[in-house]
Amino acid sequence: MANKEKNLRELAGRIYNLDEEVYKELGSSLGRVFNGEREHCIEETVRMMNERNQAHILRNELALISNMARTIPDPNCRKRIMSKYNKILREVEDLPTSFIKGDILDQKMAQLNSLHLSNRFAKSDHLIICIGRTYGCGGSEIGFTLADKLKINYYDVEIFDEVLKRLEAERTSVRDRGGYPYQKGGKDNRQYLNEVPAFTPAPRSTLKEKLREFNRYHGLPKKDAVFFNQSDLLCDMAKSEGFVVMGRCADAILTNNRIPHISIFITAPLEKRIERVMEVRGVENEKKARHLLTKLDKEHVKYYKYYTGRRWGKAGNYDLCINSASYGIQGSVDLILRMIKREE
Amino acid sequence: MLKKCMVCIGSLLAVLVCCPLTVFAAEGDVAAKPIPLWLCIPFAGLLFCIAVLPLIRAEWWESHRPLVVIGWSFLFILPFGFLYGAGTALETVLECLINDYLTFIVLLFGLFCVAGNITMEGDLAGSPRVNIILLTIGTLLSSWIGTTGASMLMVRPVIKMNAWRRNRAHILVFFIFLVSNIGGCLTPIGDPPLLMGFSRGIPFFWSLHLLPVMLFNMVVLLFIFYWIDRKRYCRDMARGRKPDISKPGTKIQIRGLHNLIFLAMIVAAVVLSGILPDQPIFRDVEGNIKGIHIFGEVVFSIPALIEIAVILLAAFLSFRTTDPIIRKKNHFTWGAIQEVGILFIGIFITMQPALAILKGMGADLGITQPYQMFWTTGVLSSFLDNTPTYLVFLTTAGATGFSEGLSTALGMVPVKMLMAISCGAVFMGANTYIGNAPNFMVKAIADENGIHMPSFFRYIGWSFMILIPVFLLDTFIFFR
Repeated sequence: MANKEKNLRELAGRIYNLDEEVYKELGSSLGRVFNGEREHCIEETVRMMNERNQAHILRNELALISNMARTIPDPNCRKRIMSKYNKILREVEDLPTSFIKGDILDQKMAQLNSLHLSNRFAKSDHLIICIGRTYGCGGSEIGFTLADKLKINYYDVEIFDEVLKRLEAERTSVRDRGGYPYQKGGKDNRQYLNEVPAFTPAPRSTLKEKLREFNRYHGLPKKDAVFFNQSDLLCDMAKSEGFVVMGRCADAILTNNRIPHISIFITAPLEKRIERVMEVRGVENEKKARHLLTKLDKEHVKYYKYYTGRRWGKAGNYDLCINSASYGIQGSVDLILRMIKREE
Repeated sequence: MLKKCMVCIGSLLAVLVCCPLTVFAAEGDVAAKPIPLWLCIPFAGLLFCIAVLPLIRAEWWESHRPLVVIGWSFLFILPFGFLYGAGTALETVLECLINDYLTFIVLLFGLFCVAGNITMEGDLAGSPRVNIILLTIGTLLSSWIGTTGASMLMVRPVIKMNAWRRNRAHILVFFIFLVSNIGGCLTPIGDPPLLMGFSRGIPFFWSLHLLPVMLFNMVVLLFIFYWIDRKRYCRDMARGRKPDISKPGTKIQIRGLHNLIFLAMIVAAVVLSGILPDQPIFRDVEGNIKGIHIFGEVVFSIPALIEIAVILLAAFLSFRTTDPIIRKKNHFTWGAIQEVGILFIGIFITMQPALAILKGMGADLGITQPYQMFWTTGVLSSFLDNTPTYLVFLTTAGATGFSEGLSTALGMVPVKMLMAISCGAVFMGANTYIGNAPNFMVKAIADENGIHMPSFFRYIGWSFMILIPVFLLDTFIFFR
């Protein structure tokens, strides 16, 4: 106990000395952290080190010292002081009451986050970006451009098509609940393949058809069979290539399967989305556009909640949330690229 | 925890020992002397051990189960012998072992063996919809091959199809509610109390009168089940669990189907055990059922002997004619039947005083309304053997002197009253693990297959939350 106290006093003394040294080198008392008597300041610092709820004050004081130290003009002196500072900082971080303890980082989530490159993004892991987006926010375009810039594949409707092949099911009998209504004739066919509006109820089937479907989908509801196949497909793909995947609860699926990825949610204010939907998708009037967006948002919330147990669009579920109205499509792409340090 | 339990047991013992209440038993030598209520303590103690020891000393309980059963059994036999004489004690124990326990455990053994030799393979994935279908099939099957038969036949497919899921104990709980109990009310084959009624002059197909009650219970319970299962199914999906549906199309293969013949043999043996005792060929000149004399008045009757022989033959043939790979695929072990066999021998022996008291008190309870019959028969069937409980109340109803109703060997019983007794005995066996034999078998098989089944008390909690409200609805709709 006495030893611990002695160590803390010694550490606090070194912090005081560092502050004093920085002050001397700069030749200005402006910005000096510890202005009082040495013993009194050390006493106060030790108290802060002992109390968890005071840790943030110590952090602020250390930050102030380092900010001042970085302004020292002599590089050798700056290097020497910063080395001392780093050593002290490491020791402070190691304290049981350190401000670094109780990090907001969710270890489980962080392990899967390929942005956390330093300690867990293995060379064999592929870059996988999962993008959730609201309809009309330009999310699909952002995803597509991003994939193009990163020279990795872009998957949206393609996943669904592959699942249909796996299930040996006809396109007319299954709805793509994970996608959005697209139209053919867009600027890129890869991007605009899904003709059938998402979430439209499937046509009524006869008893014979129902029995056939029961057999085809292993007794599962059609939508669940599609989801499970999508999950398998995504996990298989993640083993062999990097890609950008739009929606389809990919972030939750990859998290559950412990596959590193980056999850991004893109949205924009409703009014901006309405404007865009009217302009780009050719929706006749504002009322219709508002109705469509509200309906799609609700359906997506339901879909995402059903399969993941999470709330769609809740910031805590993603690594990054972007308001595309603030950056625009290209701006959002640039922001993401800068974040993942793969700028072209 | 253990200390608290011991204090509880001690207090209970003290209350019962000091309690002056004694009840006169109905028949035999025991009738001459009143049966003190404290003789029920070993029964309560054994139930307490079954309920608590797996929670606080699981490993010890696993290895010392037979000792506990023997201990509580002797705690009943010794004072009983002291009060009524060693001969009477021996006779009572032999009577319950030979005429009740033996047929009970052989039937369970036979169905366990035969059902264990039928396996269903396939990639049907356990979802709320599939589970509803399985539970419905099981419930409807119960009346025709017995609750035990249907339980043993259906439990493994249900477990297999839901193997991909994490949250599945509730499926087995509803399985016990529906397949192991409620489903068995439509014919005397379904549940032993109804077979007893059949041998007392109730027509074989009379139980079909209970169809509306059973359908009502089935629909309500399946509705509740659907929402619970759906919630847990979604939770499983959210945790990333998924069934193996990589191949398109569902392939279901049932192997060992020839065992259905042996299953039919066992069902026939059960039916015969209800019919044969009434046949003149099995009666002596004094009208007693012929059999092998064991001790005192204990006779191992010929019909019971035939039943046991047929069941054991069916089990033997089933084993001889079935590929051992099927048993391996079914993860067939003797653990479940061993556990049930050991526990129920103790339950059968120690519950004798409670049954004798019930027989003595039945007529004095003043039960005249169907709802009273439903609840009294039901609550007692939850803890005691439902067959004697059913008989006690059927006898009480028959002796009440009703002028209208169904004519039975025990007297005239109003249809509504008979429905209440039958439903109480059959349905409320689901209230506890020990209420009906298949309950414990299903629990043991599920435990063996990696499903963390609710403890004794938690299971009662499920019954309170789900079954009791449904039974209250039954009371208002059918037995008012």
